[in-house]
Amino acid sequence: MIYFDNSATTRPCEEVIRVINDDLTGQMWGNPGSLHKLGMISSKAYEDALGECAKTLNCMPSELIFTSCGTESANTAIEGFFKANPRAGKTVISTRTEHKCSLETLNLLEKEGYTVKYVKVGRDGKPDLDELRSLIDEDTALLCFTHVNNETGSILPLDQIIEIKKELCPKAAVYLDCVQSLGKLPISLKTMGVDMASFSAHKIHGIKGVGLLYIRNGVKVSPHIIGGGQQNGMRSGTQSLPLAASMATAVTEAEDARANAFEEVSKINSYLRRELTARGATVNSPEDALPFVLNVAFRNFQSETMLHCLEIYEIYISTVSACSSKSKKTSYVLENMGIERSISANSVRLSFSRYNTMEEAESFVKAIDEIYELYEVKVR
Amino acid sequence: MATNVILARMGEVTLKGLNRGRFEAQLMNNLRYRLRSFGKVSIFQSQSRIWIESKEEGNPYFETEESAKELMTAVTQVFGIVSVSLARKFQGDINDIDRNAEEYVKNLLAANPSYRTFKVECKRGNKKFPMNSPMICEEVGAWILEHFENLSVDVHNPDFILHVEVRDDNYVYAGKMMGHRGLPVGTAGKGMLLLSGGIDSPVAGYMMASRGMPIDAVYFHSFPYTSEQAKQKVVDLAKIVSRFSGRMNLYIVDFTKIQLDMVKNSPHDMLTIVMRRVMLQIAEQIAKKNDCKCLITGESLGQVASQTLEAITITNEVVDMPILRPLIGMDKEATVKISRDIGAFETSILPYEDCCTIFVAKHPKTHPKHADIEEAEKNLDIEAMVKQGVEENLEVIKI
Repeated sequence: MIYFDNSATTRPCEEVIRVINDDLTGQMWGNPGSLHKLGMISSKAYEDALGECAKTLNCMPSELIFTSCGTESANTAIEGFFKANPRAGKTVISTRTEHKCSLETLNLLEKEGYTVKYVKVGRDGKPDLDELRSLIDEDTALLCFTHVNNETGSILPLDQIIEIKKELCPKAAVYLDCVQSLGKLPISLKTMGVDMASFSAHKIHGIKGVGLLYIRNGVKVSPHIIGGGQQNGMRSGTQSLPLAASMATAVTEAEDARANAFEEVSKINSYLRRELTARGATVNSPEDALPFVLNVAFRNFQSETMLHCLEIYEIYISTVSACSSKSKKTSYVLENMGIERSISANSVRLSFSRYNTMEEAESFVKAIDEIYELYEVKVR
Repeated sequence: MATNVILARMGEVTLKGLNRGRFEAQLMNNLRYRLRSFGKVSIFQSQSRIWIESKEEGNPYFETEESAKELMTAVTQVFGIVSVSLARKFQGDINDIDRNAEEYVKNLLAANPSYRTFKVECKRGNKKFPMNSPMICEEVGAWILEHFENLSVDVHNPDFILHVEVRDDNYVYAGKMMGHRGLPVGTAGKGMLLLSGGIDSPVAGYMMASRGMPIDAVYFHSFPYTSEQAKQKVVDLAKIVSRFSGRMNLYIVDFTKIQLDMVKNSPHDMLTIVMRRVMLQIAEQIAKKNDCKCLITGESLGQVASQTLEAITITNEVVDMPILRPLIGMDKEATVKISRDIGAFETSILPYEDCCTIFVAKHPKTHPKHADIEEAEKNLDIEAMVKQGVEENLEVIKI
């Protein structure tokens, strides 16, 4: 099996599985809120997990909240920010290429009377900074962006955006979706200039069911889930130590492997860019995209057909766009980047992880050659 | 003690002369098959109607109006049934009738809170019962009025009619769920439905089944151009049709190589016609082997390029069996309505299948002539293609 769909989810790594297994079979199943010894053991381990995440992400433990997933983190941050800051402005600035978990929350805000302004993105997937400058006004309370786009790997010019923010709306907050950048780009929350950020474990060889939300000390956000007041009241519900510990392990493992992985995956990426372009494919990911994501359109193959052809070779990728001639749906991300329908209808996403190898990339290219030989159809 | 029972009424079946017994027996068999997952039930006929009772206590499908809905819906889906009611069955005198009528109306109002007016109708089969029908109506009507403040009598246009039947047992019931009518499946010969993932073909299958025809189906699968999800969607559609048509075999033809061969060796503007001709021949072969006497398609005149009269004539030529096209004169809207009524629409419009549009030419010939098809097929070994479709990797799914 060749798994090139790591932006969708990843296989949990051995260390993560071991941590969960140890926690569940050992004495770590107590309620961290209990006053007895069993509870204390869990509570201590929970603090350790939090501390480990905070250290790796360079922030204070009190600035992190364990959530159930990236989506919950995004929902909480965006909605909770406005709930907690009624006197702030009522305008959000974002792009139309955000993940659905942000876009849907923004839609909800719009229905509630907030103003959402969308900055155009260019062919490289990056927001038009001049337009951003023109959209900011005194009502701007939140900037909502994605560090790395999940479909194209396009990297946000974060430093420039933070500069603009400091200059034009210093009081506004910045929310950054870091789900695809975690473990792939350096993340230093203290110095990045963001106020809120979301993370997910299962994109970095952790497991599904746990994510993180960063809220910088001093930034007010209302909780999404209320009850017993766990996690400083920011997310009630009994904390899961195995999930927290697995998140910490996933983050640490990813960070330790990051530099090497980046180098290896860069080689895979440039090899595939070269070989696939030579075979007539169009690369949609910008030149300077994160190498972990490669969005590419194969000539004469609709996205879904290519996905199923590769399936025959036990190669797994993603279509991001639903192939449907009736609903005429293609990727909204590619559409907003101004990519023609004829290209986006044929686009697929390859996404890599530290466990992928050059041999796999070579097998992939071989499979593509065979697929063209066997399955290419040109109906006039 | 009172129990809930289900009363089903037959339609066209009762008009059959000497064959009536055969039609009714088939209908009873079909009901038994359709209700096999609803616990142990007894199904019997009396006074030209069908009664369905639970054979065990505590069968949830008989408990309340609400819980009986699923069972009643299943009964309405058996062709030959015109309408279905939930009735309360009990023994005793007029006092028992009053109390059971009251209980029944209580449940009825819980399910239909907007009801304001009613009337009572009575049938008395048990001539030994001391009151006659008008007296029973009067008594029960008065009792209901007394116990339900919000109800009043309207004999012309009531919200519900409370039926009271006095036989060996007594029954009260009101309201009807309409059945799908038609003739019991199995009273006509079997047909082979060409089932795609679209809106039309499941409706075509449903319509033929409503005339008593058992259905098998054939689907042409072109992996990787059509996905496993597309195939699953067809299986799901077959299941929906089989709620009405009963047991069904779904034949899945591996069509990929055949289709690729066509693309390579015949002109693209004739591709759809050639493809349909080969599909019909494969379907006919499978039909013959499985005792089907006709083919069924969801074609509707003029809907797409391959459904013009000329195209239909040319595709029709390759098979001997009759091809039934119940939708041929129907408007799309009407088909969609049936599709919704039988619960197929939501499944039909799932998007998976469409990648096979890759095999459709930009400008297909809408008025093909004989010379065109001869030319189009001259480089194809049609016989070998049909043989391949029928024999290689043919999958059978029992629905």
